[in-house]
Amino acid sequence: MDKSRRRFMKGAVAAGGVATFAAGYSDPLLKMGKGVTGSAGEKPNHRIHDNSLVPEYTVDPQSGELTLNPDQRVAFTVCYGCTTKCGVRVRVDKATDQVLRVSGNPYNPLSSDEHLPMRTPVVDALRGLSAYGDQGQQNRSTACARGNAMMAQIDSPFRVTHCLKRVGGRGGREWQKISFEQLIEEVCEGGDLFGEGEVDGLRAIHDHDTLIDPENPEYGPRANQLMVMEATDYGRSALLKRFTMNAFATRNYGHHGSYCGLAYRMGSGAVMDDLAKNAHTKPDIQNARFILYVGTAPSQAGNPFKRQGRLIAQARAAGTLDYVVVDPGLNASVSHAADHNRWVPILPGTDSALAMGMIQWLLNNEGYAKGFLELPGQPAADAANEATHTNATHLVIDTEGHPRRGRFLRASDLNQAEAGSEADVPMVVADGELVASDSVMAAELFVNREVALADGETLRVRSSMTLLRDAANEQDLATYAEHCGIPEDTIVDLARRFASHGRRAVTNSHGGMMSGHGFYAAFGMQMLNVLAGNHNRKGGSAVGGGQFNGVGEGPRYDLANFPGKRGPQGVFLSRSRFPYEKSSEYQRKVAAGKNPYPARAPWRSLAPPTLTEHLPSALDGYPYPIKAVIGCMANPIYGQAGLEALIADKLKDPKRLGLFVAIDGFLNETNRYADYIVPDSVMYEVWGFTSAWKGNLGKMTTACWPVVEPRQQKSEEGEPVSMDSFFIAVAKRLGLAGFGDEAIPDAEGNLHPLHLAEDFYLRAAANVAMQGEPLPAADESDIVHAGLAPLMPRIERTLKPEEHGPVAYLYARGGRFEDFKDHFKGENLTSAWKRTLCVYNEQVGTSIDTRNGELNRGVPFYSMPKLADGSAMREVFTEEEWPLLAFSFKSNLMNSYAIGLERLRMIKPYNPVMMHRQDAERFGISHGDTIRIESPGGSVVALALVGEGVMPGALGIEHGYGHRDLGATPHVIDGESQPDLEWLRAGININNLGFKDPTRSVAGTWLEPISGAAVRQGLPIRVTHIDV
Amino acid sequence: MDPIRRSLLGQLARLSAGAALVPLSSVANAGINQQPPRREGDPTKRYGMLIDLRQCIGCQACTVSCHIENAAPLGSFRTTVAQYEVEHQETGEVATFMLPRLCNHCENPPCVPVCPVEATFQRQDGIVVVDSDRCVGCAYCVNACPYDARFINERTQTADKCTFCAHRLEAGLLPACVESCVGGARIIGDMRDPASQISRMISEHGDELMVLQPEKHTMPQVFYLGMDERFVTRPHAEPVALEVLDPHGKEMGYEFHH
Repeated sequence: MDKSRRRFMKGAVAAGGVATFAAGYSDPLLKMGKGVTGSAGEKPNHRIHDNSLVPEYTVDPQSGELTLNPDQRVAFTVCYGCTTKCGVRVRVDKATDQVLRVSGNPYNPLSSDEHLPMRTPVVDALRGLSAYGDQGQQNRSTACARGNAMMAQIDSPFRVTHCLKRVGGRGGREWQKISFEQLIEEVCEGGDLFGEGEVDGLRAIHDHDTLIDPENPEYGPRANQLMVMEATDYGRSALLKRFTMNAFATRNYGHHGSYCGLAYRMGSGAVMDDLAKNAHTKPDIQNARFILYVGTAPSQAGNPFKRQGRLIAQARAAGTLDYVVVDPGLNASVSHAADHNRWVPILPGTDSALAMGMIQWLLNNEGYAKGFLELPGQPAADAANEATHTNATHLVIDTEGHPRRGRFLRASDLNQAEAGSEADVPMVVADGELVASDSVMAAELFVNREVALADGETLRVRSSMTLLRDAANEQDLATYAEHCGIPEDTIVDLARRFASHGRRAVTNSHGGMMSGHGFYAAFGMQMLNVLAGNHNRKGGSAVGGGQFNGVGEGPRYDLANFPGKRGPQGVFLSRSRFPYEKSSEYQRKVAAGKNPYPARAPWRSLAPPTLTEHLPSALDGYPYPIKAVIGCMANPIYGQAGLEALIADKLKDPKRLGLFVAIDGFLNETNRYADYIVPDSVMYEVWGFTSAWKGNLGKMTTACWPVVEPRQQKSEEGEPVSMDSFFIAVAKRLGLAGFGDEAIPDAEGNLHPLHLAEDFYLRAAANVAMQGEPLPAADESDIVHAGLAPLMPRIERTLKPEEHGPVAYLYARGGRFEDFKDHFKGENLTSAWKRTLCVYNEQVGTSIDTRNGELNRGVPFYSMPKLADGSAMREVFTEEEWPLLAFSFKSNLMNSYAIGLERLRMIKPYNPVMMHRQDAERFGISHGDTIRIESPGGSVVALALVGEGVMPGALGIEHGYGHRDLGATPHVIDGESQPDLEWLRAGININNLGFKDPTRSVAGTWLEPISGAAVRQGLPIRVTHIDV
Repeated sequence: MDPIRRSLLGQLARLSAGAALVPLSSVANAGINQQPPRREGDPTKRYGMLIDLRQCIGCQACTVSCHIENAAPLGSFRTTVAQYEVEHQETGEVATFMLPRLCNHCENPPCVPVCPVEATFQRQDGIVVVDSDRCVGCAYCVNACPYDARFINERTQTADKCTFCAHRLEAGLLPACVESCVGGARIIGDMRDPASQISRMISEHGDELMVLQPEKHTMPQVFYLGMDERFVTRPHAEPVALEVLDPHGKEMGYEFHH
């Protein structure tokens, strides 16, 4: 045995079945008395196979001939079990319309080892999953535990299947059933809906002619007083956004990103010069030689979950990869069964110390891709056969107080080009000369000098690389080590190993960056990829293959535009993407001779619209109040640390919010406060298109269609009530453009109706199927083997004849997927990121911190987490009072909406918290003790799991437990109490330990300063043993 | 861990694959070690499973897909994956060890001879099954299995266990756990067919393969690759407390205890 594997068992941790096999011993002995005349139980279906499912088809082991089971059908669609959105194959019992079991779609790269080429006949795909020739296990297509268990959502006792209107005060969990038509009427027309006074309906709010606030015209029209939020794009966002942004045209749309991974995404956007969309990358696991995972863990969680898990497993067995997982807690990604992988514990919220420590070592030991970083512009990159270049050599104006401080020194500054013209490129130094970055093949990395301008003014300039080195050298390595809790020699070892693998060394992060300095931590971690020069490279950081977009200006239909389309205008509630300095408020203050800083609340010019600020700010009326919220599957109260305590009471107040409509199949912690519930379809009942989030090198779009009949109420027209039918009905009633008759232009300019969900999604399918090289027509065998019988009449009814065959071909394969192939050209990835990679981000470096009017820094740097006014969190919440830091991690089983799934609860019924043995001893806590965890914002009772698998000083909380709704508390509908189950309340939710930032005047939870992301990593807490 | 136990573990012989592999020449019907003759099933086959622990990601997809496929009662499992935290003896470095478990379809299954009504039997293809028409639910077999792989099904009141999804193998399909194994760790197949994937992997990795509790002489036919030999016996591990707490700290027990 390899020496590194010489470990001994310390304890059994978590995960399921630990006790359950042993449970086999417990009660059988009691049954011994029942005699020998046979069993007293239910007689199973088969004497040997008991009640096991009848196979969906059979495959002859000799000939491979496949025979379908006539009582079942297999269809391909999408799993909603997490945001990976894997393509799956669903077995359905034809007689009962019940889903029997689910596994992977072999055409889909997110589910399969080597996914099948599109040309594969479906019957061959099904055969390939069988035992015939061991094919099915040589090339699997799987569903994970949750993906398997999720089908129970469909007939869950906790599901809402009827339109509901609240009875009594908001949040009282009491409802009455109403018709869909009544719901639409009341939501649109308003009135005294609850006996609490007049409520504006959507018709009144849909006002594009009147300003919200004439004093602050930039806030835009009153239509912005509708806010629409959704969990994430499960494939239907295009229709929701069509309504929200382009038909109703409110500015205020939000999704879960700001309490999911926004700090990471923005840090990534900063190095990729893409703060508009915050592009990000994933390691090419198959070709990388060293991967440093920090705050993300493939196979524990992460996206794409199965694909990363499978690739890391294969790399472990093949021995091709060395990887390190840096995380406050040990997780499933670190395997004792193989060598070359290792866990390094870190204190929560201190990742910037690790990043800057590693950067320091790399810069001081020339551990970077020198030749690549020296490429100053695209001509040099092209000559070197690189997809892009970095701005490492570009010069940044760094004269204190200069109005152009933070800008690149450009050709126009030296009168060598017209400002803003194509020739106005950043300047670099080559051979000691100041030259344009596109004029030389290499430039100096480290520059710090003065430059005389044409008008005689002298400026201090520093190269991006110098600014980075200066930032990295602000602390010594010992300080970094002390702050993050990783020994100095370990940091050096990580840096050295990272450097030793050259451009096949990669780092990747995600949710671990949701800390108080998370943006710069993520920026720093992603900087390691820039220094390694691994973007666009085999074994490096890959942007992935993208998607076949069906909802844009497609070859068959234009789903992005329609007659009468509007564009939203005005300032987001979250005050993002809008410089405070352009606001009327700022200008009034300046005009009145007042210091405009600090702003009343953060204005984050770099951040996308964030739900974390939208809701609390709207309820506090700053920058402006809102009148209505429509939420679709969104649950910010469960998901955002500290939100419930901050806004629950305000949310109940109809004066602060007039109307709250929730579209969902379940009553969660947020939509329990709704006025109306629109019962939504759940997975397998929906239409839509999804893609790979990242982590897949080929182009792909996954399609879903209702493979089972939606279980919920239908409208008078016979359509299932759902998100789609709700927005269509509202738009039609309000007469909004883009819905109803004459809503969808085709390529010839003819207009087609949008009355039903399929009017939209099937036309998107035609766009996907027929873009580029159109897909061929499906044959009868494909249609039979892919269970398309229920879909074909809808395709034929909706689409043009020439579209039927290709669209059926698409659905028969569950989407459209670029064939598996080598995605490389030499050492380069074929899907490349072409923008300049940023060592220094000019947009960040010239943005203003609205706390003090100072410039934000354009390179990553180390800081301990801070609160909204800039004071260190640890000054306000001291270590003496709050000695531990809580962190959350994603579960490989549970998610934030899966607690109702009993097959997951039976494996992992709740989430004991991870505590290090040293801390346990320090606070007098033993393994299995009941403890109270208190934070400045909350208090919960938990069970301590004491061991070595967590950083001393940190306390780990698995996410997905501690629910108060989704069935955990009874709701009353039409006077009848609905089913509830106390087991759903088990465990704790870290977000109940979040808190109100005490340094803010407009109420807000603790948010990361640059991004507005909810801080959940590194919450100050204390623990005490309690006797129950 | 106490030092005595540690030294005992140190003395444990790594099981050589040869001792555990199917004696292919064995006469399946002859009856060995008081085993009744095998019956039913395909006499030309011998099914076994190989689990490459290096590829197990502990995701429990096998656990759930098996549970659905075989309609096990909630809280009862035909297969599951235990997760352990292990610590390096010298450096203190900590890692995770995943151990998927299921019926070993032993060559010498101790559960079979103890059945008073011959309901539990071994098929000629090696799969150990229970005839629910005969089973009286006495649980002798449950107690005889050193691997805790059996339970009494609360609905049928008969012994229940993994059948390698015999109903799927007979249909030319893969067991649910194999089909859904995300990391690609589970390999099933006919070990009498030298061309099968499992046969090829057994010959490739023969010396590295281990089985659970070899000292029981059950000759398990589930082989582990990447196994830490100290796990072949029941690990001496501090269990996770499974008592669920309500929000006030009151113990709720386990929802699915029967």
